[in-house]
Amino acid sequence: MSARAPLKVLALHAAVLALLFAAQFALPPYHHTNVARIMVLAAYAIGYNVLLGYTGLMSLGHAMFFAAGMYGAGLPVYYLGVGAAGALGAGLAAGVVLAALFGLLALRTTGVAFLIVSLMFAQAFYLASLYFNEVTLGDQGFILSQRLAPLQAGGATLGFHEPAVKYNGALLLFAACLLVSLALRASPIGRVLIGIRENEERTRLLGYDSFRYKLLSLTISGGLAAAAGAMYALLFSYVGSTFASILFSIYPLLWTLLGGVGTTLGPLLGTGLMFYLVDLASGVTSAYLLAVGVALVLLVLWFPLGILGTVRARWLPWLP
Amino acid sequence: MAAVIPLLETESLGKRFGGLAAVNGVSLRVAEGEIRAVIGPNGAGKTTLVGMICGRLEPTSGRVRYGGRDITALRPWERLRQGIVYTFQVTSVFRGLSCYENVALPAQRRLMRGLAGRLALRESAIAERVQAALEAVGIADLAAQRADALAYGHQRLLELAMALATEPRILILDEPTQGLAEGEIERLCGLVRDIARRATVLLIEHNMPVVLALAGRVTVMDSGEIIAEGSPAEIERDPAVQRAYLGR
Amino acid sequence: MTFGPHLLLALLEGTVTAFVLAVTALGLSLVFGVMRIVNVAHGEFFMLGAVLAWVCSSAVGTPLGGFLFALVAAPLAVGALALAADRLILRRIEYHPESTIVATIGLLYILQQAVLTLYGPEARPVNPPVYFTLAFPWFGYSGYKLVVAAASALLLGAVWWLLHRTTLGLYMRAAQQDLEMAQACGVPARRVYAMVFALGAMLAAAAGVLVVPIQQAHYLMGLDPLLLSFIVVIIGGLGSLKGTLVASFVVGLSDGIVSVFFSPTLAKIVATLLVAAVLVARPGGLFGEGRG
Repeated sequence: MSARAPLKVLALHAAVLALLFAAQFALPPYHHTNVARIMVLAAYAIGYNVLLGYTGLMSLGHAMFFAAGMYGAGLPVYYLGVGAAGALGAGLAAGVVLAALFGLLALRTTGVAFLIVSLMFAQAFYLASLYFNEVTLGDQGFILSQRLAPLQAGGATLGFHEPAVKYNGALLLFAACLLVSLALRASPIGRVLIGIRENEERTRLLGYDSFRYKLLSLTISGGLAAAAGAMYALLFSYVGSTFASILFSIYPLLWTLLGGVGTTLGPLLGTGLMFYLVDLASGVTSAYLLAVGVALVLLVLWFPLGILGTVRARWLPWLP
Repeated sequence: MAAVIPLLETESLGKRFGGLAAVNGVSLRVAEGEIRAVIGPNGAGKTTLVGMICGRLEPTSGRVRYGGRDITALRPWERLRQGIVYTFQVTSVFRGLSCYENVALPAQRRLMRGLAGRLALRESAIAERVQAALEAVGIADLAAQRADALAYGHQRLLELAMALATEPRILILDEPTQGLAEGEIERLCGLVRDIARRATVLLIEHNMPVVLALAGRVTVMDSGEIIAEGSPAEIERDPAVQRAYLGR
Repeated sequence: MTFGPHLLLALLEGTVTAFVLAVTALGLSLVFGVMRIVNVAHGEFFMLGAVLAWVCSSAVGTPLGGFLFALVAAPLAVGALALAADRLILRRIEYHPESTIVATIGLLYILQQAVLTLYGPEARPVNPPVYFTLAFPWFGYSGYKLVVAAASALLLGAVWWLLHRTTLGLYMRAAQQDLEMAQACGVPARRVYAMVFALGAMLAAAAGVLVVPIQQAHYLMGLDPLLLSFIVVIIGGLGSLKGTLVASFVVGLSDGIVSVFFSPTLAKIVATLLVAAVLVARPGGLFGEGRG
């Protein structure tokens, strides 16, 4: 393998994006909103995968970055009437800052200790969102639709309640996150991150300050998650504490494991599959989280590479 | 007479683990361009000593000097950038990655200048360096293979290629011939002589014929201390060394 | 009520919490210490104990009879479940730390949702086996809560006896200190691991049985004990009986005081941040091994 992003890789990713774009004209309304949601959540999973798949650090606290983005975008809109662009920027900034601060503290630890630290910080964030519920409205949350001004683009008014705006907004976000992850993977920085994942001490002795690179990875990972959270608030109009809960930190882990850890397209696949699996299950029983539990156990026992990870190992070694 | 500063110098370097002094007051001087062998029985402290030199371990006492500068506080990656390169006693390659990727990671280091250099590099520039390193050790045809699919001898060579890709000024080899077959050892000796034309070599070895063939000077350690230093012939004759190590 | 009686109430509540927490956390601590793994489903074993206690008390007529039956049957059932989980899942992934966490998260959801399906989403009360009130000048205090504290103390004593006076306990302590060495001396590592995992689960279940007359059995009740046990174990030190005890009291009492005087949510925020701080500040990693 000599070129890092050969033509077939770019073609594959372009094809996926084109397919997603075309799908909006063929999907019935129910699935239309679902796919929009899946794309935003897949962006969240892509962020998670940067840390787990490419750097080898498992976190159970990514919900705090998603929620930072969500509150970072939602609160200014709700209380200050900020427009969509400003809100998106604020949400992204909130996530990046939080991730960097968290990294400075927590990256002295690694492995299981890092996992627990991330879990604890995320839990504290979640509890704080409940504690300050005069502002955040806690579990109940708040709706943005009345307060969010529609976009003005080239003379046309695009309201956020319109399905086309939701879908394409989600697609834009997903495309941006996908391309960021691909570019990172193909860059010299990406090579260092993979080296850290495979053998951190060796990477240090080959001339790389692993702490700095892990911090960078965590900041990007948190930033992508926050962008997804901010977009979710804007597109689906709801901001609430549940998105900061532990379950919401477990979801990207599950989606990434299912789709294929350390693959650029795995998060999309895993998110989509699991979304529909849970959707189906909740039609049958109120105990639909059972699907989550069973999936996790089966993946860990028999399918640790996930779908695209297995595809890459067996048939397509060029898959990034 | 002008005094030449040694390339590498340790000053009463010591490492204690709890109550055990693995290395005790070692003062070593390595001149630029020489091939120095460090020998001694198992547990003599050789790997601990070079661990402190390359930055893997923090000394509990003493200093390390490099080109006249005190580098005791320098972190491992900073030492690598200064040209101090270590190859592991137990191969520590990136097992799940191809040989190309294994060598590309160290090879790209020198090209990563500034923000632009970190974001994107011409892969061909890196590929050139990787090719050169793999060819130097003779495994260029294995570039696409996974590191853990290689025979042990080839993995050792891969380690060496990774070290060469960093353009070392002093190369520390920790028991490079261990586990190698006769022919492979010969080839390695040829390689080391080649490398020694461009870099200083510090060689930890148990294989006495290799030491005698390659080394200009030999340092003998036992129980954490230096017990003798001299030319290979002198060391062979030294009674203290014979007692401690050669078992005669 | 003025400050003094409030404080007394807080201390009493905190003491009961501390004792129950000590039993629960000890189970987690042993698993952490001997097996070097994190069992995220630990709280669900606690919840299962409580739910099974409800089942037993519905089956047996009298509160006391039901309670005693539950105290024996629930831990045994949960222990068997834990053995199965160890054999089918943990052993297969060879107790690899991060895989175990993912697997036990899965187990958490499986157990929790299974109980939701079979038992339902309601919280159901269980009558205490004995009912008497301790009359303080300012308030009446439930006598059963003190029984809980006493029973917990007995359980802790029993575990101490197991660890320090039996062969199995010797094996556990040896495996915790140095597994390789222990194996070289003939300690059957796999069987010890299975026993430790089962013991941890049984302790959690027993705590659940003790607590259910006070708290009511609900399928989500395992999450709080899990978090609190985590906090205790990390602050008190993995596998250390003494450390777990001390930390349980520190955490239990301060949780009681902060909850009574401020708010339960704030207490939890402080506790979770404290755990993170301990882990970050500790130079030796989670298990005290290696350089930071």
